[in-house]
Amino acid sequence: MTTDEILIKVEDLKMDFGPVKVLKGISTQIKKGEVLVIVGASGSGKSTFLRTLNLLEEPTGGHIFFEGVDITDEKIDINLHRQKMGTVFQQFNLFPHMSILYNMTLGPIKLLKKSKAEAEAEAMELLKRVGLADRAKAYPSQLSGGQKQRVAIVRALAMHPDVMLFDEPTSALDPEMVGEVLDVMKNLAKDGMTMVVVTHEMGFAREVADRVMFICDGVIGEEGTPQEFFASPKNPRLKDFLSKVL
Amino acid sequence: MSAWLEDFKSEFYLNFIKGDKWLWLVDGLKATLKIAFFAVILGIVIGVLVAVIRSSWDQNGKKLRGGAKFIMRILNFIAKTYLTVIRGTPVVVQLMIMYYVIFASSTNAILIATMAFGINSGAYVAEIFRSGIMSVDKGQFEAGRSLGFNYIQTMWYIVIPQALKNVLPALANEFITLLKETSVAGYVTITDLTRAGDLIRGKTFSAFMPLIAVALIYLVMVVILTWLVGILERKLRTSDH
Ligand SMILES: Nc1ncnc2c1ncn2[C@@H]1O[C@H](COP(=O)(O)OP(=O)(O)O)[C@@H](O)[C@H]1O
Ligand SMILES: [Mg+2]
Repeated sequence: MTTDEILIKVEDLKMDFGPVKVLKGISTQIKKGEVLVIVGASGSGKSTFLRTLNLLEEPTGGHIFFEGVDITDEKIDINLHRQKMGTVFQQFNLFPHMSILYNMTLGPIKLLKKSKAEAEAEAMELLKRVGLADRAKAYPSQLSGGQKQRVAIVRALAMHPDVMLFDEPTSALDPEMVGEVLDVMKNLAKDGMTMVVVTHEMGFAREVADRVMFICDGVIGEEGTPQEFFASPKNPRLKDFLSKVL
Repeated sequence: MSAWLEDFKSEFYLNFIKGDKWLWLVDGLKATLKIAFFAVILGIVIGVLVAVIRSSWDQNGKKLRGGAKFIMRILNFIAKTYLTVIRGTPVVVQLMIMYYVIFASSTNAILIATMAFGINSGAYVAEIFRSGIMSVDKGQFEAGRSLGFNYIQTMWYIVIPQALKNVLPALANEFITLLKETSVAGYVTITDLTRAGDLIRGKTFSAFMPLIAVALIYLVMVVILTWLVGILERKLRTSDH
């Protein structure tokens, strides 16, 4: 599904936390429709990279162009661009004081200025797609982890994003619930959504990714198609990493 | 025994019935409730504002730049000074300064007292509320921002409702304290419940009846409020949404 149109362009991205240099210069391009999977050891900066992409973490150096606009530029309104970048967190982060339906319609109603009826109809449609239409009136605390994460995904989708960012979406789940979330993500990829996915699910990377990226020591240690990446890794650190996770 | 009862009856008559002095207590109670009610509202408004300023500076101050940083630094400084001054001085002194110094030209004592108690309560509400904001998981804020909500929208729709829920019992206790603290309103010429009892005492030269009556009225109000807070707490505990 990858097209030639560049959706996100990252130029020499750097991120320091005080004296700690977490990202030391990352440059890459993400094409429309591409599924980029990011892997790496824990603490290598994968989350930081993902969080800088929508400026949840403000990079200390470099530029990020999203749909042609430099979103690291102080003068742009980052909130408008974030509406187009869906984010799914490891800990779901559903709003516990709102029903599932309201979790999903809050953004569309307040930000996209949709009518309540329209937003709810769209939300119900999305819930149906992930098999949770009957839980619309429930509250997050009444859902299983897998259900929560599926809701978190469709909550992001309700904003009609142009890219979806996933930060270890299955890491907080019981093993038996991982599949249901990955299935939703696979379908999303099939439908042509641009996705950046940090994950330890190598099976998902092999099956769904257009490109796999290994982050190590704050830089891109290696990247390539899943075939190259898993069959013939060149970076010794990547070889070591793969020998541990595969 | 019957002599004691007779005594009680005549004291009761003297202090409350004769000259309709019970009405003094009713009027005093009205003034107390009026001050407490509006002071609570003012306290919440100030408290939420100060809490939001303080916690956004603590959480996001570093990330701000230029003009926004300058403004927030000043607001945070004002908020901190306010908290220090208000919590570092007795409420009755604040009340007298408001009435005799700052608003010396006004005679609307009830309004000034309401402001004084509201400003005082705001400092305590702010600290309660700040702890409530801090207790909301950081992921909630990030989820809001990543949907595209700006800082204020995220606080308003997502963080503050959860913070409020977390601190409702503590807030309710603050209001009970405030209700009792209004008993110093007599210092600025207001005939509140306490002062009304004292006026009766001055008139009848009998201290027991009017003062015990005043104490009982406060006690009943506090017991009822405490009971309501208990119901509220149980409701919040059973519904974790
Ligand atoms: N807000 C922060 N302040 C200070 N250090 C941080 C912060 N966020 C992340 N780090 C540090 O940055 C490094 C990379 O973290 P992270 O991006 O979460 O790694 P990963 O997601 O690959 O496990 C870690 O050493 C972590 O301690
Ligand atoms: Mg991480």
